[in-house]
Amino acid sequence: MRRSVCIAVLTTTLLFGAGTITTGPKNVLASAQQKPETTEVKIDNFSFGPATLTVPVGTSVTWTNRDDIPHTVVSTDGVFKSKVLDTDEKFSFTFSKAGTYPYFCSIHPKMTGKVVVQ
Amino acid sequence: MHPFDLKAALLAKHAQHVVLIHFPIALFIAGVAFDFVAQWTRRQFLAAAAYCNLLAAAVVTVPVLITGILAWQWQLEGQRLKGILLMHLVLGCASSAMIWVVSLVHLRAKRAPGAVLPGYRLPLEAVGVGLVTLTGHLGGFLSGVNGPG
Repeated sequence: MRRSVCIAVLTTTLLFGAGTITTGPKNVLASAQQKPETTEVKIDNFSFGPATLTVPVGTSVTWTNRDDIPHTVVSTDGVFKSKVLDTDEKFSFTFSKAGTYPYFCSIHPKMTGKVVVQ
Repeated sequence: MHPFDLKAALLAKHAQHVVLIHFPIALFIAGVAFDFVAQWTRRQFLAAAAYCNLLAAAVVTVPVLITGILAWQWQLEGQRLKGILLMHLVLGCASSAMIWVVSLVHLRAKRAPGAVLPGYRLPLEAVGVGLVTLTGHLGGFLSGVNGPG
């Protein structure tokens, strides 16, 4: 009797464990597909930081204006363009294709940055 | 950009307003200074210098306003302005209007035979200088000249 209880407990544990192992990665994959990875670029003191950002395809990049002055985020190739961002305002863009995306601030064209999507 | 690269300078969408704005600021403030000193010392040549400076300031506000509006339309694609940009636009228009009013007062006094410059022009000129200073400060802040760091 005691032996059969032990076997039952062991079997249940194994089944649960196997279930977790098989369903675990699926859940991770599903959540990865639903939510793209987010990376932040800070705009401060008339510069983008980091100036060059390398991200995988599907990443959503968010620019946050931490400066006291309005700025914009405009792609040199016309891929994306933000409205004028006042202090603490954000702009996001999801990069679905690999490539290099140079951008600048249209109010201060000397402010430049680059997103490398791999 | 090379400092003597004319083509790049003229075709830059943002450049002209930032360059031209210095002319009406300098001419108007110098004109008002001459007028105040002319009023105090009663010297005609200073009054003439004030007249020329104020008239020139009024003339150059026209390209400054045009290039400012073009910069808004080209660089920001006519987006609805807010914050410092909106304040700069409103104060810029108010400053230009004040420069024109002051210049018209001087022009009318010059053209009418025997006319004397009215005393109320002096407080008007002082308000004008205040507006120009505030607008210029915001412009400098926007361009990064008066910015932090």
